[in-house]
Amino acid sequence: MNLNATLLGQMIAFGLFVWFCWKFVWPPLLAAMEERAEKIEQGLKDSEESAKKILDAEEQSKKMLAEAKKEAKKIMDNAKNQSEKIVEESKNKATEEKNRIVGSAQSEIEKEVVNAKKTLEKDFAASVMSAVKKIVAKEVSISNYQDTVDKSLDDFRK
Amino acid sequence: MASESSGRTFQEYLEHHLQNLVYGPLPAGHERKFYTKGDDETTKEAYCQSKNLDYDGEKYCKETLTEDGWYLANNKTDVDAMGFWALHIDTMFFSVLLGGLFLFIFAGAAQNFSLDKPTKLQLFIEMMIDFINGVVKGTFKAAQNSLIAPMALTIFFWVLLMNVMDLVPVDLIPYPAELLGVPYLKVVPTTDLNLTAALALSVFVLYLFYSIKSKGFVGFIKSISLHPFGPWMLPANLFIEIIDLIAKPLSLALRLYGNLYAGEMIFLLIAGMVSINLTSFMGLGLNLAGITLSLIWAIFHILIVVLQAFIFMMLTVVYMNMAHEKFEQH
Repeated sequence: MNLNATLLGQMIAFGLFVWFCWKFVWPPLLAAMEERAEKIEQGLKDSEESAKKILDAEEQSKKMLAEAKKEAKKIMDNAKNQSEKIVEESKNKATEEKNRIVGSAQSEIEKEVVNAKKTLEKDFAASVMSAVKKIVAKEVSISNYQDTVDKSLDDFRK
Repeated sequence: MASESSGRTFQEYLEHHLQNLVYGPLPAGHERKFYTKGDDETTKEAYCQSKNLDYDGEKYCKETLTEDGWYLANNKTDVDAMGFWALHIDTMFFSVLLGGLFLFIFAGAAQNFSLDKPTKLQLFIEMMIDFINGVVKGTFKAAQNSLIAPMALTIFFWVLLMNVMDLVPVDLIPYPAELLGVPYLKVVPTTDLNLTAALALSVFVLYLFYSIKSKGFVGFIKSISLHPFGPWMLPANLFIEIIDLIAKPLSLALRLYGNLYAGEMIFLLIAGMVSINLTSFMGLGLNLAGITLSLIWAIFHILIVVLQAFIFMMLTVVYMNMAHEKFEQH
Protein backbone atom coordinates (compact mmCIF):
# COMPACT_ATOMS: atom_id res chain seq x y z
CA MET A 1 0.00 0.00 0.00
CA ASN A 2 1.97 2.92 -1.28
CA LEU A 3 1.03 6.47 -1.80
CA ASN A 4 1.65 7.25 -5.44
CA ALA A 5 0.43 9.24 -8.41
CA THR A 6 -3.06 7.85 -7.81
CA LEU A 7 -3.29 10.42 -5.05
CA LEU A 8 -2.86 13.25 -7.55
CA GLY A 9 -5.24 11.63 -10.00
CA GLN A 10 -7.87 11.27 -7.32
CA MET A 11 -7.44 14.87 -6.19
CA ILE A 12 -8.02 16.01 -9.76
CA ALA A 13 -11.03 13.72 -10.10
CA PHE A 14 -12.44 14.96 -6.80
CA GLY A 15 -11.91 18.56 -7.83
CA LEU A 16 -13.68 18.00 -11.13
CA PHE A 17 -16.59 16.18 -9.51
CA VAL A 18 -17.09 18.87 -6.89
CA TRP A 19 -16.80 21.58 -9.52
CA PHE A 20 -19.36 19.86 -11.74
CA CYS A 21 -21.75 19.33 -8.85
CA TRP A 22 -21.23 22.94 -7.73
CA LYS A 23 -21.94 24.37 -11.17
CA PHE A 24 -24.41 22.02 -12.83
CA VAL A 25 -26.12 19.83 -10.26
CA TRP A 26 -26.69 21.66 -7.01
CA PRO A 27 -27.95 25.08 -8.16
CA PRO A 28 -30.63 23.87 -10.60
CA LEU A 29 -31.91 21.25 -8.17
CA LEU A 30 -32.04 23.66 -5.28
CA ALA A 31 -33.57 26.40 -7.42
CA ALA A 32 -36.24 24.01 -8.70
CA MET A 33 -37.03 22.86 -5.17
CA GLU A 34 -37.24 26.43 -3.93
CA GLU A 35 -39.46 27.30 -6.87
CA ARG A 36 -41.79 24.49 -5.98
CA ALA A 37 -41.83 25.51 -2.32
CA GLU A 38 -42.76 29.01 -3.43
CA LYS A 39 -45.41 27.64 -5.76
CA ILE A 40 -46.97 25.60 -2.97
CA GLU A 41 -46.90 28.56 -0.64
CA GLN A 42 -48.47 30.75 -3.31
CA GLY A 43 -51.07 28.08 -4.02
CA LEU A 44 -52.04 27.89 -0.37
CA LYS A 45 -52.24 31.65 -0.15
CA ASP A 46 -54.32 31.78 -3.32
CA SER A 47 -56.74 29.14 -2.12
CA GLU A 48 -57.12 30.95 1.18
CA GLU A 49 -57.77 34.17 -0.65
CA SER A 50 -60.27 32.59 -3.00
CA ALA A 51 -62.09 31.03 -0.05
CA LYS A 52 -62.32 34.49 1.46
CA LYS A 53 -63.49 35.85 -1.86
CA ILE A 54 -66.21 33.22 -2.07
CA LEU A 55 -67.39 34.17 1.41
CA ASP A 56 -67.37 37.82 0.41
CA ALA A 57 -69.29 37.06 -2.73
CA GLU A 58 -71.87 35.08 -0.80
CA GLU A 59 -72.36 37.92 1.62
CA GLN A 60 -72.60 40.37 -1.20
CA SER A 61 -75.12 38.26 -3.04
CA LYS A 62 -77.20 38.03 0.14
CA LYS A 63 -77.04 41.75 0.52
CA MET A 64 -77.97 42.26 -3.09
CA LEU A 65 -80.87 39.86 -2.78
CA ALA A 66 -82.19 41.68 0.28
CA GLU A 67 -81.85 44.98 -1.48
CA ALA A 68 -83.62 43.66 -4.54
CA LYS A 69 -86.45 42.40 -2.38
CA LYS A 70 -86.72 45.80 -0.73
CA GLU A 71 -86.71 47.47 -4.09
CA ALA A 72 -89.36 45.14 -5.42
CA LYS A 73 -91.53 45.80 -2.39
CA LYS A 74 -91.09 49.50 -2.85
CA ILE A 75 -92.02 49.23 -6.51
CA MET A 76 -95.06 47.17 -5.68
CA ASP A 77 -96.13 49.63 -3.00
CA ASN A 78 -95.67 52.48 -5.41
CA ALA A 79 -97.71 50.71 -8.02
CA LYS A 80 -100.47 50.06 -5.51
CA ASN A 81 -100.46 53.68 -4.46
CA GLN A 82 -100.49 54.81 -8.01
CA SER A 83 -103.35 52.55 -8.95
CA GLU A 84 -105.30 53.64 -5.92
CA LYS A 85 -104.66 57.20 -6.84
CA ILE A 86 -105.75 56.58 -10.41
CA VAL A 87 -108.89 54.85 -9.26
CA GLU A 88 -109.59 57.68 -6.84
CA GLU A 89 -108.92 60.25 -9.48
CA SER A 90 -111.15 58.54 -12.01
CA LYS A 91 -113.81 58.21 -9.36
CA ASN A 92 -113.59 61.91 -8.66
CA LYS A 93 -113.65 62.73 -12.33
CA ALA A 94 -116.69 60.51 -12.83
CA THR A 95 -118.47 62.13 -9.90
CA GLU A 96 -117.64 65.53 -11.25
CA GLU A 97 -118.81 64.54 -14.68
CA LYS A 98 -121.99 63.15 -13.21
CA ASN A 99 -122.54 66.30 -11.18
CA ARG A 100 -121.89 68.39 -14.23
CA ILE A 101 -124.28 66.35 -16.35
CA VAL A 102 -126.89 66.27 -13.63
CA GLY A 103 -126.48 70.03 -13.10
CA SER A 104 -126.86 70.88 -16.72
CA ALA A 105 -129.90 68.62 -16.96
CA GLN A 106 -131.44 70.27 -13.93
CA SER A 107 -130.87 73.75 -15.33
CA GLU A 108 -132.34 72.56 -18.58
CA ILE A 109 -135.32 71.23 -16.73
CA GLU A 110 -135.65 74.42 -14.76
CA LYS A 111 -135.52 76.44 -17.97
CA GLU A 112 -138.15 74.14 -19.43
CA VAL A 113 -140.25 74.57 -16.31
CA VAL A 114 -139.95 78.36 -16.50
CA ASN A 115 -140.82 78.28 -20.18
CA ALA A 116 -143.73 75.99 -19.51
CA LYS A 117 -144.90 78.22 -16.69
CA LYS A 118 -144.69 81.25 -18.93
CA THR A 119 -146.62 79.57 -21.67
CA LEU A 120 -149.06 78.18 -19.18
CA GLU A 121 -149.46 81.61 -17.64
CA LYS A 122 -150.10 83.22 -20.99
CA ASP A 123 -152.53 80.51 -22.05
CA PHE A 124 -154.30 80.54 -18.71
CA ALA A 125 -154.54 84.34 -18.61
CA ALA A 126 -155.88 84.39 -22.12
CA SER A 127 -158.46 81.70 -21.37
CA VAL A 128 -159.40 83.35 -18.09
CA MET A 129 -159.70 86.63 -19.86
CA SER A 130 -161.85 85.18 -22.53
CA ALA A 131 -163.97 83.45 -19.92
CA VAL A 132 -164.21 86.59 -17.88
CA LYS A 133 -165.02 88.61 -20.97
CA LYS A 134 -167.77 86.25 -21.78
CA ILE A 135 -169.12 86.40 -18.21
CA VAL A 136 -168.74 90.09 -18.00
CA ALA A 137 -170.25 90.65 -21.34
CA LYS A 138 -173.16 88.84 -20.05
CA GLU A 139 -173.41 90.48 -16.68
CA VAL A 140 -171.39 93.62 -16.14
CA SER A 141 -169.16 95.81 -17.97
CA ILE A 142 -165.54 94.80 -17.65
CA SER A 143 -164.57 98.16 -16.36
CA ASN A 144 -166.28 97.54 -13.02
CA TYR A 145 -164.15 94.53 -12.26
CA GLN A 146 -160.92 95.49 -13.90
CA ASP A 147 -159.18 96.05 -10.56
CA THR A 148 -160.20 92.72 -9.11
CA VAL A 149 -159.11 90.95 -12.25
CA ASP A 150 -155.75 92.60 -12.27
CA LYS A 151 -155.30 91.82 -8.58
CA SER A 152 -155.99 88.15 -9.03
CA LEU A 153 -153.73 88.04 -11.98
CA ASP A 154 -151.00 89.46 -9.89
CA ASP A 155 -151.57 86.84 -7.25
CA PHE A 156 -151.38 84.14 -9.80
CA ARG A 157 -148.17 85.50 -11.07
CA LYS A 158 -146.65 85.19 -7.72
CA MET B 1 -13.00 -19.69 -3.86
CA ALA B 2 -10.24 -18.36 -6.01
CA SER B 3 -7.43 -19.58 -3.83
CA GLU B 4 -7.88 -23.26 -4.57
CA SER B 5 -8.73 -22.97 -8.22
CA SER B 6 -5.82 -20.76 -9.13
CA GLY B 7 -3.41 -22.85 -7.11
CA ARG B 8 -2.66 -20.16 -4.55
CA THR B 9 -2.29 -20.55 -0.83
CA PHE B 10 -4.71 -18.64 1.38
CA GLN B 11 -2.06 -16.07 2.14
CA GLU B 12 -1.42 -15.54 -1.55
CA TYR B 13 -5.16 -15.21 -2.06
CA LEU B 14 -5.31 -12.46 0.59
CA GLU B 15 -2.30 -10.65 -0.82
CA HIS B 16 -3.70 -10.91 -4.29
CA HIS B 17 -6.97 -9.34 -3.21
CA LEU B 18 -5.27 -6.54 -1.31
CA GLN B 19 -3.07 -5.53 -4.23
CA ASN B 20 -4.22 -2.80 -6.59
CA LEU B 21 -3.89 -3.01 -10.31
CA VAL B 22 -0.87 -0.76 -10.79
CA TYR B 23 0.30 0.83 -13.99
CA GLY B 24 3.66 2.53 -13.88
CA PRO B 25 7.15 3.00 -15.24
CA LEU B 26 9.69 0.21 -14.96
CA PRO B 27 13.40 0.75 -15.63
CA ALA B 28 15.48 -1.28 -18.05
CA GLY B 29 17.07 -4.29 -16.37
CA HIS B 30 14.06 -4.89 -14.12
CA GLU B 31 13.10 -8.54 -13.92
CA ARG B 32 9.39 -9.25 -14.28
CA LYS B 33 7.78 -12.45 -13.06
CA PHE B 34 4.58 -14.16 -14.17
CA TYR B 35 2.82 -17.16 -12.76
CA THR B 36 3.34 -20.19 -14.91
CA LYS B 37 0.74 -22.87 -15.48
CA GLY B 38 0.97 -26.63 -15.47
CA ASP B 39 1.28 -29.63 -13.16
CA ASP B 40 4.92 -30.57 -13.50
CA GLU B 41 8.27 -29.00 -14.38
CA THR B 42 8.13 -29.79 -18.08
CA THR B 43 4.66 -28.36 -18.76
CA LYS B 44 5.51 -25.28 -16.68
CA GLU B 45 8.68 -24.74 -18.65
CA ALA B 46 6.83 -25.33 -21.90
CA TYR B 47 4.22 -22.76 -20.87
CA CYS B 48 6.92 -20.18 -20.23
CA GLN B 49 8.66 -20.93 -23.48
CA SER B 50 5.38 -20.62 -25.38
CA LYS B 51 5.23 -17.03 -24.05
CA ASN B 52 8.87 -16.41 -24.98
CA LEU B 53 9.94 -16.22 -21.33
CA ASP B 54 12.46 -17.97 -19.14
CA TYR B 55 11.37 -20.44 -16.46
CA ASP B 56 12.76 -19.88 -12.94
CA GLY B 57 12.40 -23.54 -11.92
CA GLU B 58 9.60 -22.94 -9.41
CA LYS B 59 6.40 -20.96 -9.97
CA TYR B 60 7.29 -18.19 -12.31
CA CYS B 61 8.28 -17.30 -15.80
CA LYS B 62 10.61 -14.32 -15.87
CA GLU B 63 11.53 -11.60 -18.27
CA THR B 64 14.26 -8.97 -18.00
CA LEU B 65 13.27 -5.61 -19.44
CA THR B 66 15.63 -4.23 -22.07
CA GLU B 67 14.31 -0.66 -22.00
CA ASP B 68 12.32 1.75 -19.81
CA GLY B 69 8.60 1.62 -20.26
CA TRP B 70 5.19 1.67 -18.66
CA TYR B 71 3.80 -1.67 -17.57
CA LEU B 72 1.03 -3.23 -15.51
CA ALA B 73 2.60 -4.53 -12.32
CA ASN B 74 2.45 -8.28 -11.93
CA ASN B 75 3.67 -8.56 -8.38
CA LYS B 76 4.97 -6.69 -5.37
CA THR B 77 8.48 -6.32 -6.80
CA ASP B 78 7.09 -4.61 -9.88
CA VAL B 79 5.05 -2.26 -7.70
CA ASP B 80 8.05 -1.41 -5.55
CA ALA B 81 10.18 -0.75 -8.60
CA MET B 82 7.61 1.66 -10.04
CA GLY B 83 7.92 4.17 -7.21
CA PHE B 84 5.75 7.26 -6.93
CA TRP B 85 4.71 7.68 -10.55
CA ALA B 86 2.52 4.62 -10.58
CA LEU B 87 -1.21 4.73 -11.02
CA HIS B 88 -3.80 2.47 -9.44
CA ILE B 89 -5.90 1.78 -12.52
CA ASP B 90 -8.64 -0.03 -10.62
CA THR B 91 -9.04 2.72 -8.03
CA MET B 92 -9.11 5.38 -10.71
CA PHE B 93 -11.50 3.40 -12.88
CA PHE B 94 -14.06 2.50 -10.23
CA SER B 95 -13.97 5.85 -8.47
CA VAL B 96 -14.42 7.83 -11.67
CA LEU B 97 -17.10 5.40 -12.81
CA LEU B 98 -19.03 5.76 -9.55
CA GLY B 99 -18.54 9.50 -9.34
CA GLY B 100 -19.68 9.76 -12.93
CA LEU B 101 -22.71 7.62 -12.14
CA PHE B 102 -23.60 9.89 -9.23
CA LEU B 103 -23.23 13.06 -11.29
CA PHE B 104 -25.05 11.49 -14.24
CA ILE B 105 -28.06 10.58 -12.12
CA PHE B 106 -28.19 13.88 -10.30
CA ALA B 107 -27.53 16.05 -13.35
CA GLY B 108 -30.17 14.06 -15.21
CA ALA B 109 -32.64 14.68 -12.42
CA ALA B 110 -31.79 18.38 -12.47
CA GLN B 111 -32.32 18.47 -16.22
CA ASN B 112 -35.66 16.64 -16.14
CA PHE B 113 -36.88 18.27 -12.96
CA SER B 114 -40.66 18.36 -12.91
CA LEU B 115 -42.41 20.71 -10.52
CA ASP B 116 -45.78 19.04 -10.77
CA LYS B 117 -45.10 15.41 -11.58
CA PRO B 118 -41.91 14.28 -9.83
CA THR B 119 -40.66 10.77 -10.52
CA LYS B 120 -39.68 8.54 -7.62
CA LEU B 121 -36.02 9.06 -8.44
CA GLN B 122 -36.55 12.80 -8.35
CA LEU B 123 -38.27 12.56 -5.00
CA PHE B 124 -35.35 10.56 -3.64
CA ILE B 125 -32.90 13.10 -4.97
CA GLU B 126 -34.92 15.95 -3.53
CA MET B 127 -34.90 14.17 -0.21
CA MET B 128 -31.12 13.84 -0.38
CA ILE B 129 -30.66 17.48 -1.36
CA ASP B 130 -32.89 18.48 1.51
CA PHE B 131 -30.97 16.24 3.88
CA ILE B 132 -27.57 17.61 2.84
CA ASN B 133 -28.90 21.14 2.86
CA GLY B 134 -30.20 20.61 6.38
CA VAL B 135 -26.88 19.25 7.59
CA VAL B 136 -24.93 22.07 5.98
CA LYS B 137 -27.30 24.77 7.25
CA GLY B 138 -27.18 23.29 10.73
CA THR B 139 -23.41 23.02 10.85
CA PHE B 140 -21.93 25.58 8.54
CA LYS B 141 -22.86 28.86 10.18
CA ALA B 142 -19.70 30.91 10.06
CA ALA B 143 -20.26 32.42 6.62
CA GLN B 144 -21.95 32.05 3.27
CA ASN B 145 -20.26 29.76 0.80
CA SER B 146 -22.09 28.19 -2.11
CA LEU B 147 -19.38 25.54 -2.50
CA ILE B 148 -19.91 23.78 0.81
CA ALA B 149 -23.28 22.14 0.18
CA PRO B 150 -22.51 20.75 -3.29
CA MET B 151 -19.15 19.55 -2.02
CA ALA B 152 -20.86 17.82 0.90
CA LEU B 153 -23.31 16.22 -1.51
CA THR B 154 -20.53 15.04 -3.79
CA ILE B 155 -18.48 13.65 -0.93
CA PHE B 156 -21.42 11.86 0.64
CA PHE B 157 -22.63 10.16 -2.51
CA TRP B 158 -19.28 9.46 -4.03
CA VAL B 159 -17.90 7.93 -0.86
CA LEU B 160 -21.16 6.08 -0.28
CA LEU B 161 -21.16 4.55 -3.75
CA MET B 162 -17.50 3.57 -3.44
CA ASN B 163 -18.14 2.05 -0.01
CA VAL B 164 -21.11 0.12 -1.34
CA MET B 165 -18.71 -1.67 -3.68
CA ASP B 166 -17.52 -3.38 -0.50
CA LEU B 167 -20.82 -5.23 -0.35
CA VAL B 168 -20.21 -6.80 -3.74
CA PRO B 169 -18.92 -10.34 -3.08
CA VAL B 170 -15.13 -10.21 -2.96
CA ASP B 171 -14.48 -12.47 -5.93
CA LEU B 172 -17.42 -11.49 -8.12
CA ILE B 173 -15.52 -8.95 -10.20
CA PRO B 174 -11.81 -9.74 -9.63
CA TYR B 175 -12.10 -13.45 -10.51
CA PRO B 176 -13.67 -13.04 -13.99
CA ALA B 177 -11.31 -10.13 -14.58
CA GLU B 178 -8.35 -12.37 -13.77
CA LEU B 179 -9.60 -14.94 -16.25
CA LEU B 180 -9.65 -12.13 -18.80
CA GLY B 181 -6.02 -11.36 -18.00
CA VAL B 182 -6.23 -8.55 -15.43
CA PRO B 183 -3.59 -9.56 -12.86
CA TYR B 184 -5.04 -7.65 -9.90
CA LEU B 185 -8.29 -5.87 -9.20
CA LYS B 186 -9.53 -4.06 -6.12
CA VAL B 187 -13.08 -2.93 -6.68
CA VAL B 188 -13.51 -0.84 -3.52
CA PRO B 189 -11.73 2.46 -4.15
CA THR B 190 -12.10 3.56 -0.53
CA THR B 191 -9.87 0.68 0.58
CA ASP B 192 -7.08 2.45 -1.29
CA LEU B 193 -5.29 4.95 0.95
CA ASN B 194 -4.52 7.01 -2.14
CA LEU B 195 -8.16 7.81 -2.62
CA THR B 196 -9.03 8.61 0.98
CA ALA B 197 -5.85 10.65 1.30
CA ALA B 198 -6.69 12.50 -1.90
CA LEU B 199 -10.12 13.43 -0.56
CA ALA B 200 -8.70 14.40 2.81
CA LEU B 201 -5.90 16.45 1.25
CA SER B 202 -8.32 18.26 -1.05
CA VAL B 203 -10.48 19.10 1.95
CA PHE B 204 -7.37 20.17 3.84
CA VAL B 205 -6.26 22.44 1.00
CA LEU B 206 -9.69 24.05 1.02
CA TYR B 207 -9.45 24.31 4.80
CA LEU B 208 -6.17 26.19 4.58
CA PHE B 209 -7.43 28.33 1.71
CA TYR B 210 -10.59 29.45 3.49
CA SER B 211 -8.77 29.82 6.81
CA ILE B 212 -6.33 32.25 5.28
CA LYS B 213 -9.05 33.91 3.22
CA SER B 214 -11.33 34.60 6.17
CA LYS B 215 -8.74 35.30 8.87
CA GLY B 216 -6.09 36.84 6.65
CA PHE B 217 -2.60 35.38 6.56
CA VAL B 218 -1.61 37.15 9.78
CA GLY B 219 -4.84 36.09 11.43
CA PHE B 220 -4.21 32.50 10.42
CA ILE B 221 -0.69 32.59 11.84
CA LYS B 222 -2.07 34.16 14.99
CA SER B 223 -4.75 31.48 15.25
CA ILE B 224 -2.12 28.74 15.34
CA SER B 225 0.42 30.55 17.47
CA LEU B 226 -1.45 32.59 20.11
CA HIS B 227 -3.90 29.91 20.92
CA PRO B 228 -4.76 28.15 23.29
CA PHE B 229 -2.27 29.42 25.93
CA GLY B 230 -1.66 33.01 24.92
CA PRO B 231 1.46 34.68 23.48
CA TRP B 232 3.75 33.68 26.37
CA MET B 233 3.55 30.04 25.40
CA LEU B 234 4.04 30.51 21.67
CA PRO B 235 6.12 27.37 20.98
CA ALA B 236 3.68 25.17 22.86
CA ASN B 237 0.79 26.77 21.01
CA LEU B 238 2.43 26.20 17.67
CA PHE B 239 3.21 22.62 18.57
CA ILE B 240 -0.35 21.87 19.64
CA GLU B 241 -2.03 23.73 16.82
CA ILE B 242 0.13 22.25 14.10
CA ILE B 243 -0.57 18.76 15.38
CA ASP B 244 -4.24 19.69 15.49
CA LEU B 245 -4.00 20.94 11.93
CA ILE B 246 -2.26 17.88 10.58
CA ALA B 247 -4.56 15.58 12.50
CA LYS B 248 -7.48 16.82 10.46
CA PRO B 249 -6.59 15.38 7.04
CA LEU B 250 -4.84 12.44 8.64
CA SER B 251 -7.85 11.40 10.68
CA LEU B 252 -10.17 11.97 7.72
CA ALA B 253 -8.08 9.81 5.41
CA LEU B 254 -7.25 7.06 7.88
CA ARG B 255 -10.71 6.73 9.38
CA LEU B 256 -12.36 6.01 6.05
CA TYR B 257 -9.49 3.90 4.76
CA GLY B 258 -9.18 1.91 7.97
CA ASN B 259 -12.86 1.16 8.29
CA LEU B 260 -13.28 0.03 4.73
CA TYR B 261 -9.97 -1.81 4.54
CA ALA B 262 -10.79 -3.71 7.71
CA GLY B 263 -14.27 -4.46 6.43
CA GLU B 264 -12.86 -5.77 3.18
CA MET B 265 -10.28 -7.79 5.07
CA ILE B 266 -12.96 -9.49 7.13
CA PHE B 267 -14.92 -10.31 3.98
CA LEU B 268 -11.75 -11.84 2.55
CA LEU B 269 -11.09 -13.88 5.68
CA ILE B 270 -14.64 -15.19 5.61
CA ALA B 271 -14.29 -15.92 1.90
CA GLY B 272 -11.19 -17.94 2.80
CA MET B 273 -13.35 -20.23 4.91
CA VAL B 274 -15.72 -20.76 2.02
CA SER B 275 -12.85 -21.70 -0.27
CA ILE B 276 -12.15 -24.96 1.54
CA ASN B 277 -13.41 -27.99 -0.40
CA LEU B 278 -16.88 -29.34 0.18
CA THR B 279 -16.07 -33.06 0.34
CA SER B 280 -15.37 -33.37 4.07
CA PHE B 281 -17.88 -32.84 6.85
CA MET B 282 -15.58 -30.23 8.36
CA GLY B 283 -15.30 -28.42 5.04
CA LEU B 284 -19.05 -28.37 4.62
CA GLY B 285 -19.51 -26.92 8.10
CA LEU B 286 -16.91 -24.24 7.45
CA ASN B 287 -18.58 -23.35 4.19
CA LEU B 288 -21.96 -22.97 5.85
CA ALA B 289 -20.39 -20.96 8.67
CA GLY B 290 -18.62 -18.81 6.11
CA ILE B 291 -21.77 -18.07 4.18
CA THR B 292 -23.65 -17.21 7.37
CA LEU B 293 -20.85 -15.00 8.66
CA SER B 294 -20.56 -13.32 5.31
CA LEU B 295 -24.23 -12.48 5.40
CA ILE B 296 -24.09 -11.18 8.97
CA TRP B 297 -21.02 -9.10 8.27
CA ALA B 298 -22.55 -7.74 5.06
CA ILE B 299 -25.69 -6.65 6.91
CA PHE B 300 -23.62 -5.01 9.61
CA HIS B 301 -21.39 -3.50 6.98
CA ILE B 302 -24.31 -1.66 5.40
CA LEU B 303 -24.32 0.46 8.53
CA ILE B 304 -20.57 1.13 8.35
CA VAL B 305 -20.75 1.96 4.66
CA VAL B 306 -23.36 4.67 5.15
CA LEU B 307 -21.96 5.87 8.44
CA GLN B 308 -18.44 6.37 7.11
CA ALA B 309 -19.73 8.30 4.12
CA PHE B 310 -21.80 10.46 6.44
CA ILE B 311 -18.93 11.03 8.86
CA PHE B 312 -16.57 12.06 6.08
CA MET B 313 -19.15 14.50 4.74
CA MET B 314 -20.02 15.82 8.19
CA LEU B 315 -16.40 16.37 9.22
CA THR B 316 -15.72 18.15 5.95
CA VAL B 317 -18.55 20.56 6.68
CA VAL B 318 -17.35 21.02 10.26
CA TYR B 319 -13.80 21.74 9.09
CA MET B 320 -15.08 24.18 6.49
CA ASN B 321 -17.07 25.91 9.20
CA MET B 322 -13.94 26.16 11.38
CA ALA B 323 -12.01 27.53 8.42
CA HIS B 324 -14.55 30.30 7.92
CA GLU B 325 -14.57 31.39 11.54
CA LYS B 326 -12.92 34.69 12.29
CA PHE B 327 -9.93 34.61 14.60
CA GLU B 328 -10.89 35.45 18.16
CA GLN B 329 -8.65 35.95 21.13
CA HIS B 330 -9.84 33.66 23.90
